[in-house]
Amino acid sequence: MSKLLDPIPHHHSYGVLRHYATVLMATAPKKQETPAIREQRSLLRGINLRQNANAISPVAFNARRDFLVTAYESGQFLKAPEKKGEAAPNPMSDPAAMDGMMGMMKGNMMMMVPQTLIMGWINAFFSGFVVIRLPFPLTIKFKSMLQAGVATKDMDPQWMSSISWYVLCIFGLQSVFNYLLGSDNAASQTAQQMGQMGPGAGANMFGPGVDPDKQFQGEAENLSVLAHYYTLAGVEERLLKSLS
Amino acid sequence: MRTEQELQISPVVQESVIHNTKVLVTLRNLTASLFGIGAGILGLESYPGFIFYVVFSLLTSALVYALRVQPALARDPSGDAGITRFFKGSWELWTGGIFEGLSGFVLTWTLFYGLVRA
Repeated sequence: MSKLLDPIPHHHSYGVLRHYATVLMATAPKKQETPAIREQRSLLRGINLRQNANAISPVAFNARRDFLVTAYESGQFLKAPEKKGEAAPNPMSDPAAMDGMMGMMKGNMMMMVPQTLIMGWINAFFSGFVVIRLPFPLTIKFKSMLQAGVATKDMDPQWMSSISWYVLCIFGLQSVFNYLLGSDNAASQTAQQMGQMGPGAGANMFGPGVDPDKQFQGEAENLSVLAHYYTLAGVEERLLKSLS
Repeated sequence: MRTEQELQISPVVQESVIHNTKVLVTLRNLTASLFGIGAGILGLESYPGFIFYVVFSLLTSALVYALRVQPALARDPSGDAGITRFFKGSWELWTGGIFEGLSGFVLTWTLFYGLVRA
């Protein structure tokens, strides 16, 4: 029996094109005015102070902490001080957040649409036959997954139809894309999924629907209960010990 | 685990850890594709094929250890001795990224198995 050649087009060049198309289509980050930025940055400053507190002397740390705690509690950094007791606007109505969500959805569209198109193309032209054989045996249950278009009962599940070969190509080439396009490329699905979980956790701080005043109060409390241990205390002993 | 104060004095630099892991995972992905070619040409079937992959991945890790980790340790005897200076534990050096490389391995294995077997 003559061997069937691989009918799938080079998945490699398609992935590279997809990466550059996504990069070009990404929306630029939206500019915010000063009070909004100041609100976010001052919260970040409090968090930074908490995390790196042990690198500065007790005197310096206490000075910063007192200033920040009084500023947080008096609401000095708030974007709109007269709205101190109210919650932030609803995410659907706040236009600043919509842009962020649209950006993410556009990125997802860029990911899904070409894959769907190519899968439809493959189903139209390359269905009804098997193209290649997997080297390892599988159970009968996999037949429905791997031989979608072929209506045989006795063929091993080892024989794959073109669509399952395409799926195997996608998974196998993700690592190659990782290598060629750097680790934050747009053709890699795993990186994209992790990216959705990562900034989601961080963006919740400034996302709409969170009350900045409550965040400030929480941060003020965290700062006041922090126990300070100066890293450089006793450094002379350590230096002498390492030299001896 | 080192105490929090020890970590303050000699901290673990996150970027270096990420870089080391990335080097290892990249290497593992690339060699996985190459090992797939080898397994396909040899005509290996199910279990011998996977054993081939695991054995040669371990060989790759051993080469990384012998050619990169060992000289760096010898060059600079101060600081941590052993693999913990570069990786979070020997587990990471020997089996880091092995499942991600598995899909690349299966892809090239299948392709070359089909091509060569005629």
